Amino acid sequence: MKFELTEEQNLIRDMVRSFAETELAPSTQSRDEEEHFDRELMFDKLAELGLTGIIFPEEYDGAGADYISYAIALEELSRVCASTGVTLAAHLSLAANPIYLFGTEEQKQKYLIPLALGEKMGAFGLTEPSAGSDAGSTKMSAVRDGDEWILNGTKIFISNGGEAEVYVVFARTDKEAEKHHGISGFIVEKDTPGFSFGNKEKKMGIRSSPTRELVFENCRIPAENILGNEGQGFKIAMETLDGGRIAVASQAVGIAQGALDEAVKYAKERKQFDTCITRFQGVQFQLADMATQINAARFLVYNAAYRASAGLSYSLESAMAKLMASETAMKVTTQAVQILGGYGYTREFPVERMMRDAKITEIYMGTSEIQRVVIGSTLIK
Amino acid sequence: MKILVCIKQVPDMESKFKIDGNGTWYDTNDLAWRMNEYDEYGVEQAVQLKEQMGDSDLTVLCIGSAQVKETMKKALAMGCDRGAHIEDDAADSHDPFEIGSIIAEYARDKEFDVIFTGMQSQDRGSGQVGILVAEMLDIPGVSTVVDFSYDDGTINVKRELEGGIKALVKLNTPALFTCQLGINTPRYPTLPNIMKAKRKELLTIPSSDLLKVACVQETSAIFFPEKKGGGLVLEGDSGDVADQLIEILKDKTAVLA
Ligand SMILES: Cc1cc2nc3c(=O)[nH]c(=O)nc-3n(C[C@H](O)[C@H](O)[C@H](O)COP(=O)(O)OP(=O)(O)OC[C@H]3O[C@@H](n4cnc5c(N)ncnc54)[C@H](O)[C@@H]3O)c2cc1C
Repeated sequence: MKFELTEEQNLIRDMVRSFAETELAPSTQSRDEEEHFDRELMFDKLAELGLTGIIFPEEYDGAGADYISYAIALEELSRVCASTGVTLAAHLSLAANPIYLFGTEEQKQKYLIPLALGEKMGAFGLTEPSAGSDAGSTKMSAVRDGDEWILNGTKIFISNGGEAEVYVVFARTDKEAEKHHGISGFIVEKDTPGFSFGNKEKKMGIRSSPTRELVFENCRIPAENILGNEGQGFKIAMETLDGGRIAVASQAVGIAQGALDEAVKYAKERKQFDTCITRFQGVQFQLADMATQINAARFLVYNAAYRASAGLSYSLESAMAKLMASETAMKVTTQAVQILGGYGYTREFPVERMMRDAKITEIYMGTSEIQRVVIGSTLIK
Repeated sequence: MKILVCIKQVPDMESKFKIDGNGTWYDTNDLAWRMNEYDEYGVEQAVQLKEQMGDSDLTVLCIGSAQVKETMKKALAMGCDRGAHIEDDAADSHDPFEIGSIIAEYARDKEFDVIFTGMQSQDRGSGQVGILVAEMLDIPGVSTVVDFSYDDGTINVKRELEGGIKALVKLNTPALFTCQLGINTPRYPTLPNIMKAKRKELLTIPSSDLLKVACVQETSAIFFPEKKGGGLVLEGDSGDVADQLIEILKDKTAVLA
């Protein structure tokens, strides 16, 4: 066992860090304040760097890198801008990856390649108003009509909604079948008649990432746009989320590391009681706990990422990584605000944004409670 | 066209430096390493020239221990075609004359049309290596280049002089250029190119094969400059302090003369 990154992984970290610090950082705060999604910066530039297809093989125009490289890239982006992190995570893990894993060769040629190249952006629609954690109660319907499927229903809280060109969505194709068995996955292109978007959500955090409702009203798509087999949708969604959890966990580690870096920098400069506040053991111990928890979370992420690349099972490990990393992000960002005191609570410093951004990592791609359900049920199986 | 770019691996300049045991260099333990900033400009310029020429071959050269290969990988990922790693675990102990002669010895029979180096290294900062290589190879060398263009065997460059003055220089290949800040913005190595870099040729050559000269200068000590005095603190009530201040200003400066 080797606890060492490869030369490529180190180069990727350096490259993404330097991109994030030079190009993303100057506008992170204003994009948050103005809820502005800057596609050229937050997606097109990632495409130029080859980040939009990191993990896919070269035959599909990916970079052919491993999951650890992907985790590192997401961590470094999110350390500076968590909204850019989720843009990439939703695009790659939730839209491109299920097409790579379950798509036909034609679907890969038509959709995966432009997604990997970042010519098109992807999004994933599973959540519905009455089907959140309980994705099995999906209500959106898909009815076969000749060589088309007719989609009806709504999806809510969809990251990259309205911006993406390619949507992987889930709908009930068999009302009679048992709850989880009657669902199928579909690929829907933006601008298909009958497919529209609701308003952008006003959010607490990741405010420069657009989150919108998808509305399907007698939306007709070609029969060949079914993803995988009919009735396989729930399995596809769950396997997609297993991979997505590695991405959210990496995002959470990045947010936490960003907050720790800010806290250390501030504490080294701030003087109270005639001395630097780092001289107070109370402050030093907090920093020590933050750093230790972040490293623990990071290694859980690397472990899940390693297993995903090695072709081993990783559902349990990615749930653990996501649970630990997101709760660490919430704890560490809250502590960072505490270390910056009143300044930390203002928008003069980035830690209040990081605290708001951290919260979502405990909610999306399965709440912390759902991660515990996944982990717990594996233990008692 | 055959192009060579010479790079050095240096510590991150944000590091906390300590003097090593001999007192002649900094302690190289626990430092983060990166490509010398001026050499990044050299690599970028070399890659741009290669892209302009189409049919060309770009070699990146670096002298140092096995650890420098990581920095060479970055240059390969930025677009260099092949790497020549001159292995030397004591590279820091060589003076600029020795380093220059190692590079010249490597380049001598390879007929490079254009050679790029950085203007100086961020750690030693002698600014001599590039110019020495040109001299040893008996080709023209132009230093502190801030603009470069190539057209049909002729190279036009802009040099930076002191006092905000610039100079235009025209010359033919083969030639050597040392790159200064402002010449270009180095590209990010893209993910696919990082992955492809590991398939590029990276030859290792022991420096003993190339080092045929002895050093001509020796650094006897390196040290942190002594801290300047901590200023003068005036004490007393405000009237007194103001009087003292006026006296000092009259005495030591011209502001109240
Ligand atoms: C900003 C943002 C972006 C999102 N992006 C996407 C996207 O791109 N695609 C997409 O499909 N969805 C997306 N979502 C939806 C997200 O995945 C869901 O919000 C999440 O899964 C929780 O579902 P819910 O909101 O309906 O909460 P509910 O499921 O109603 O949960 C409410 C509470 O009950 C708890 N709970 C529920 N079930 C259990 C249980 N069995 N045991 C214990 N506790 C339980 C939950 O943990 C939670 O605390 C996004 C959401 C947000 C806010």
